Amino acid sequence: MNNASRNRALVRFVLLPLLLMTVALLGGLRVSSDDHAFIFIAPPLITLILSVLLMLLFVRGHMVELRAWVGSDYPLLVNVSHTLTLLSLFFASAQAFNSVLPETGLLFWLFSLFFLWTLWNNQFSNFDARHTLRSLTVLFGTAFALKHMLLASLNAPEGSWLRRLTGVVVEGVSLGTIAPQRFAPATGYISFFTLALYVTGLMLLSPQPESPADEEARQVLRVYRKLAPGEQRLVRAAIVAESDEDSDVRRALPGGTGVDDSGEEETIVAGKPER
Amino acid sequence: MQHKLIQSVGVAWTVLYAFFVIWIYATEPRTFKEVATGAQVVAGTYEVDREKFEEGLRLFRAEQFRAARDEWARADPERRDARTQFYMAYAFYREGWGRVYNDDALFKQGLEAANRAISLSEQERLRVDDPDLQIHTPAELKAELEQGLERTVDDLNPLKVFRQRK
Repeated sequence: MNNASRNRALVRFVLLPLLLMTVALLGGLRVSSDDHAFIFIAPPLITLILSVLLMLLFVRGHMVELRAWVGSDYPLLVNVSHTLTLLSLFFASAQAFNSVLPETGLLFWLFSLFFLWTLWNNQFSNFDARHTLRSLTVLFGTAFALKHMLLASLNAPEGSWLRRLTGVVVEGVSLGTIAPQRFAPATGYISFFTLALYVTGLMLLSPQPESPADEEARQVLRVYRKLAPGEQRLVRAAIVAESDEDSDVRRALPGGTGVDDSGEEETIVAGKPER
Repeated sequence: MQHKLIQSVGVAWTVLYAFFVIWIYATEPRTFKEVATGAQVVAGTYEVDREKFEEGLRLFRAEQFRAARDEWARADPERRDARTQFYMAYAFYREGWGRVYNDDALFKQGLEAANRAISLSEQERLRVDDPDLQIHTPAELKAELEQGLERTVDDLNPLKVFRQRK
C-alpha cells in the first residue's frame, strides 16, 4: 500500500465520516443571546424529508453511484463502512438544512417550501455531479444569507439599518406570525463553518469508491508512464492484442455478452494521444 | 492489511462519533462544563465536589435549607450521587415541614429527590449514619414525605401540633 492509496483510504474511511458527523453535530447548535448557553435543536421532520430528496438527487446526479458503494461483491467491512458513510451523509444533509432553516413560525414553513420546491424541481432536471454540487452550494448559501444575515439583522435587539429600513417600507403592515428569533452572533459563525464542512464533505465524496482493482490499474499506469515512448507503444500494442484475443474468445462463446464492453475498453486505450 | 486497519478504525470512529452526537442531542448540555460532566458520568469517573457538599451540610445544620440545596446542586450538578440527593430531599422535608400544615410544593420536590436517591442506590443500599438526622434511609424519608402529602382525617386532629420534626 503506497502513500497515495493510504491517503485515499484515510479520506474515504476516516476523514469523510468525520466531516459529515461533525456537520450532524453542529447543524442543530445555536447559541443563546441571553446567557450564551448552547441550544441543541434536533432536526425537524421536514429536514429529514428534504434530506431524502437530496439523497435521491445525489443518486440521480451521479454524485453517489449506489451500486458502487454497497454491493454483494464487497467484503462485509467495506459494506458496513460505506453504509455508515451514506447514513452520515443523510444526517449531515438533514442537519445542514436544520442549520439554515428558521426555528419556528411562518418563515420556517416558507423556507421549507422553498427547499422542497427547489429539490422537487431538480429531481426532473438533468444534473451531473459538478452541477449538483454547484447548485447545492448556491442553495445553501442563499438560505444561509437569508437566515443568518438578513433575518438576524432584522431581529437584532439593538436595531440595525436594515430593521429601520424595513420599518419604513412595511410601515403599518403586520408581520403576523413571523416570530422573532434571537441568537448570539456565534450561531451564524457556527452555521457558516457547518455549511463549509458539508460542502467540503460533498467535494470529497467520490461517486464510485475506489476498489482494489482500481488501485492495481493505477500502479500499472504509474509504471507505464515511467517507460520510454517506444516501450509504451509496445505495451499498448500488447494490451490491444490481448483485448482482441479476449474479444475473439467471447465472440466464440454462445450468447457472449461482453463484446461491447471490451470494445469500449479498446477504444479508451487506443484513443490515448501519442507522446 | 493496512487497508483493513484503516477501514476498521473508520467504522469504530464513526460509530463512536454517532453515539456522541446522539448523546449530545439527548442530554442537551448548555455549556462545555456540562459536556465534560456528562462525559464523566458516561465514563464512570463522576464524583461530587466534596468541598461544596460539606459546605451544604454546614448550611443544612444551620437550618439554611435553600442555601444548602444550592450548594448541593453545585456539588452534584448531574444528580448522580445518592447521598447528596438524600440530603437534598431531607432539606426539602425540613423546610416544608410545619406544625399545622406542610408545604406541599416543597414536599413534592423532596419526594422527587428521595426517588432519585432510591433509584441511585438500587445496587448498593444507602444508609446515612448522621446523628443529626432521625431518618437514615431514602425509603423511610420517602414514606415520611408521602405521608405528609396525604389528606386524611388525622389532619384535623388538634394534637397534631405537638408532633416533632424528624
